[in-house]
Amino acid sequence: MARKLPLADVKVLDFMWVLAGPGITRSMADYGATIVRIESAGRIDPVRTVGPFKGNNPGLEYSGLYANNNAGKLALSLDLSKPAAREVVFDLVRWADVVCEAFSPKAMRAWGFDYDSLRAIKPDLVMLSTCLMGQTGPLARFAGFGNLAAALCGFYNLVGWPDRTPSGPYSAYTDYIAPRFGLVALMAALIHRKRTGQGQYIDQAQAESAMQFLTIPILDCAANGTVYSPIANYDPNHAPHGVYPAAGDDRWIAIACATDAHWQALCAVMKRPDLAADNRYATFAARDARRAELDAAVAQWTMQFDPHASERALQAAGVPAHTVQESADLAADPQLAHRDHFVKVTQSVAGATAVENSRYKMSGTPARVDRAGPALGEDNHYVLHDLLGYSDDRISELVAAEALG
Amino acid sequence: MLDGCRVIDLTTERGLLCGQLLGDLGADVIKIEPPGGSPVRAQGPFFAAASAADRSICWWAYNRNKRGITLNLETGEGRGLLRRLAARADFLLESDNPGELGRRGLSYGDLAAANPALVYVSITPFGQDGPKATYADSDLIIMAAGGVLILYGDEDRAPIRMSVPQAYLHACCDAAGAALIAYYGRLDSGLGQHLDVAAQESIGLAAQSTPLAAVIGGDDTRRMAGGAKMGPIRVPLVWAARDGLVSSVVLFGPALGVFTRKLVNFIHAAGFCDDATRDKDWIAYGNLLLTGVEPLAAYDRVKEQIANFFAHHTKAELFAIAREHNLLIAPLATIGEVLDNPQFAAREYWRHVEHPELPRALTYPGPFAQMSATPIGYRRRPPRVGEHNREIYLGELGLSEGEFTALARKGII
Repeated sequence: MARKLPLADVKVLDFMWVLAGPGITRSMADYGATIVRIESAGRIDPVRTVGPFKGNNPGLEYSGLYANNNAGKLALSLDLSKPAAREVVFDLVRWADVVCEAFSPKAMRAWGFDYDSLRAIKPDLVMLSTCLMGQTGPLARFAGFGNLAAALCGFYNLVGWPDRTPSGPYSAYTDYIAPRFGLVALMAALIHRKRTGQGQYIDQAQAESAMQFLTIPILDCAANGTVYSPIANYDPNHAPHGVYPAAGDDRWIAIACATDAHWQALCAVMKRPDLAADNRYATFAARDARRAELDAAVAQWTMQFDPHASERALQAAGVPAHTVQESADLAADPQLAHRDHFVKVTQSVAGATAVENSRYKMSGTPARVDRAGPALGEDNHYVLHDLLGYSDDRISELVAAEALG
Repeated sequence: MLDGCRVIDLTTERGLLCGQLLGDLGADVIKIEPPGGSPVRAQGPFFAAASAADRSICWWAYNRNKRGITLNLETGEGRGLLRRLAARADFLLESDNPGELGRRGLSYGDLAAANPALVYVSITPFGQDGPKATYADSDLIIMAAGGVLILYGDEDRAPIRMSVPQAYLHACCDAAGAALIAYYGRLDSGLGQHLDVAAQESIGLAAQSTPLAAVIGGDDTRRMAGGAKMGPIRVPLVWAARDGLVSSVVLFGPALGVFTRKLVNFIHAAGFCDDATRDKDWIAYGNLLLTGVEPLAAYDRVKEQIANFFAHHTKAELFAIAREHNLLIAPLATIGEVLDNPQFAAREYWRHVEHPELPRALTYPGPFAQMSATPIGYRRRPPRVGEHNREIYLGELGLSEGEFTALARKGII
């Protein structure tokens, strides 16, 4: 008999939007949690306007980014400016084990949704607030997207060419780090609650979570005064190490040689016995001192071939190498196919589409991914009627009061 | 939170952060190193540039809140000791290549037979099986395979990665989240399981769903220096201020266009743009560009006016304006500037951890979240080689002084 999913009994009221917050509850939905996601028509989730879009249609229900980040959740549309909608929220708080939010501290208090107010009606509530800089401090109210937190944390100066201004990481980098830490904190709080009956409040500053990924440069700066600046693809422990041109338009292959064996195998695949035998490249220290020569020799070989062919030849010889994959490569990647990485699902408006699977496999309780991010208000009736037990009359009153907008 | 939970941490360089996260949450993490110490201790950077085993910043970065013991798993006796430790553990973390531990009789199946409640976490480049499971890897290789590298760098040059390795940090966080989800289920079922984390899939989150493009028939995207492309629209994220660089974003649509409207209103009042720019429909603007109603050149002109405004102000002025008017602008900090940011000081974020063998305390990034009932504590600095051997082998496994000495002599601990 299949085991029950680990979070099958966990109920979450989710006020989050954009990327850093919803990523937390997406992972919980994969493993069985019931997530009721609040969104209002007057304040839609910005990621609905960000691609990639199903069939390249930029409509609000066609964003693959939204569908992916919110897969498995239930959608309830509420206009929180209406008192009747706020009453629904309080009923949902009584129903829920967890409340997650990503509003400003001021907005939550104004609605009466701050932790102290909510725990008065739900004493063992676990509540998580996530924002760029945290609930306290001089920048507590500095709101925005992950590109701003990445800038303030120092990530931008780690991506770039030494002779140019920094390229920076793609888009909103801390938005891909913060949800992992948010999930870890939330799960720890749920474990604590299950063991002791005690709830708690979690204040997640996305910048503070993300700086765990900068521990080495921070320690190096604090201890030694070293300040890191852009170094392109240089790596102190690998030579050659870089991204080399392949045949085709904007096609590339990454190659990273850590050992003498890697270097010898690379030379063998390139059919360059002259390089393999050359004492100027025999040791790591020697190769480290002559990176530009190595890069030129490697590029001269890679540019002749399709990157996948070079990748297979190099990996067969034990050399760390991989095609720099674009979307079409990922769609055809046999490893991702082996792991069922792309899952076909149906979205009520956009129709047949796909989302990404859980990023890990559990042997005893495999993830359940069978629903794209819901359309605005798609689950209003189910949430109000089935989860909260509202009568049809009560639901009609909410509609009449324009609370479900 | 995880008080009383025992974690056996066998991870290599790939997986150190996972155990640290569990340790931060109160678990008793035992880091197992080969006799002589983990190879990570030989990796720089080093404290005061002294390349000694107990001076590696690489080691310190992800081993706090762990106890450390040495154990030689190449020997039968060593493996026997590990089985004894695993028999009473809640979690086992490992990041060897697939099948490595299995060859030593330490696979999930081997250990779960004696301890069915064990949550056994494997972190690998591509997963436990499949056509690429045996691929050789590095941080750069995972970035390329996961669909992230193609998004990084300048269009006229090769893609580039972030110079501080990131791929396995993402995988470690996924591993910790998965471990806690599995443990939560175990509280009811009593059953552990094997968790298979693939760094290729973990890092893919940082591609912001662009990997889906080909599967759902959407536009693919590629790198752009200091910005991001949205279809044909080029969105700068890095702008030049008078004295350095800032990040900002000028976007459109019902949610994001509101910020752009506020920005152009401010710039207009300051005399840096004309009425035409101020009065554009920033909510509909993206669709106007995509349908050609508004030529892309018009958006370029708007960006020029905004760039001119930025160029006439310092980073500090722009940040102050952003805070006062709710605009999306922040300075590009160096790591040194990050350490001086008053926000983190006000929240007492930095942790100054004593290392008795060093002349001064070290400054670490603080807790990844503030938890009201169960605050994250920095209880232990990263262990020295074999620091807790006696405590664990004698005190907890109950070896005699004679057995302990014999194991040390045979190079097992």
